[in-house]
Amino acid sequence: MKMPRFAEIEEYRDGDIIVRDGDEERHMYVIQHGKVAVTKDVGGREVTLAILERGAFFGEMALLESLPRTATVRALGYAKLLVIRPGSLLMRIRRDPTLALEMLQQMSRRIRAIDDRLVALLSNVGVPEQQAHEVKLFTTHTEYGGPRSADESAAAGAQQDGAAPNRAAAAPGKVPPPRAASDGAGVPG
Amino acid sequence: MNTDVREERLIITSDIHMGNRLFPPNRSFGELARLALRNGYSLCINGDGVDVIQMSFSLLTRQLGDAATIFKKFPHAGLKIYYTVGNHDLIFEHFLQDWGGVVVVPFINVESGERRIRVEHGHMYDDNFLSYPRVYTAIMVLGRWAISIHPRVYEGLEGANAAVVSFGHFLKRVKGVPVEPELPDGIPGEHPTFRLAAEEISVRGFDAVVFGHTHRPGKVRLQSGGMYYNTGAWMMKPYCVAIDEGRIWFGPVEELLSTPLHALPWTRVAADAPAPAPAAEEAVEAGGAEVAAGALAAGSTLRFRGVG
Repeated sequence: MKMPRFAEIEEYRDGDIIVRDGDEERHMYVIQHGKVAVTKDVGGREVTLAILERGAFFGEMALLESLPRTATVRALGYAKLLVIRPGSLLMRIRRDPTLALEMLQQMSRRIRAIDDRLVALLSNVGVPEQQAHEVKLFTTHTEYGGPRSADESAAAGAQQDGAAPNRAAAAPGKVPPPRAASDGAGVPG
Repeated sequence: MNTDVREERLIITSDIHMGNRLFPPNRSFGELARLALRNGYSLCINGDGVDVIQMSFSLLTRQLGDAATIFKKFPHAGLKIYYTVGNHDLIFEHFLQDWGGVVVVPFINVESGERRIRVEHGHMYDDNFLSYPRVYTAIMVLGRWAISIHPRVYEGLEGANAAVVSFGHFLKRVKGVPVEPELPDGIPGEHPTFRLAAEEISVRGFDAVVFGHTHRPGKVRLQSGGMYYNTGAWMMKPYCVAIDEGRIWFGPVEELLSTPLHALPWTRVAADAPAPAPAAEEAVEAGGAEVAAGALAAGSTLRFRGVG
């Protein structure tokens, strides 16, 4: 009996670019085999934001928010990736509900890591602890996954319709730590 | 709840159904736990370890008390007991966290050596459980009352269920409707949706997927190149999966207890290995009557959807 085709797999060689900063593609990837490096051009210098390993996701923010990619991802060695397109995400979650839970877990870890780094950064520049804490509360309730107001949703919709994306507003502070072997990384989508 | 764990040594079994009169755990469960403890293996009870729905309180108290005596030694030895929630102990979803020695989780992604293995009970891929949860639960509760009256009453219900399913298949054939969807073969006697679910999971970077729930022990090579194992149920011949630094062994518990660990035929499964064509399938014959007797008790293969 023939197996139905249900998985779109892409293979990459060492150094191949998988997604590029600014691309308009909307699909996400799950690393089936190998590793990838997430990099960002910071002031003309390429900075490695995270190394992702097997089982990790990337690109989900572009899929979920329909916004351009905010980092470049390239293969480290041979890499095999599962591609999940926007139209198939819900069906895949229905067939594999733990996918949704794992996405939430990874994103929760990334938010926590970003918050901790933000507070540490603010503390290092001499911002009082209370103000740093207030900034953390603010960020967890706006850009970092909290509920949006109707105005914020409308603004995001205007961006999707072709208005110039406000990169500064879309990606403040999204500098994730490298991923440990058992930790999710904050990865710009 | 942390579902990503690194365990170089782990023993996995499922469907012990402590407390259920139809599933009296024999001595070997305690022996299995002691073997794990002696050899430095953590233990995973992959669902339906305790049968909350069809249990006898007095039996559960005895069996759980015996198990707890062994379990409390695990954290002292630096080992863990993972308890993945099943459909007969679904209430434990209210306790999803690390309780010190026992970690209650919906599933675990085990990293061992260079391998990733998903361990999950499997009830979330049971169409009957998902589509008709109330009917499913009602039937399990009905089964509990039948068991409490007499096991023969329960067996009578099983026979009635089998007759309903057969009649449903007959009606479908008369109408020209395919009895089963065209799905790939899995473990014989097991609905193909479980193998499909294993395929879906394995493509996300897992070398092996371990389920319970169906009470059909066996193993199947997946299209991704990885393996799907099912550890069956303890009312029949109990099976388990042992993991040691990325190597996997699957077989009867009594074989694990009677064979030195270093002498077991360990295998290294890898999802990036090319799958043979056609896919090789190995399944274990657990005995048709025993399998049938176990199926409805867990409600895992209830076929009432076959009607009409």
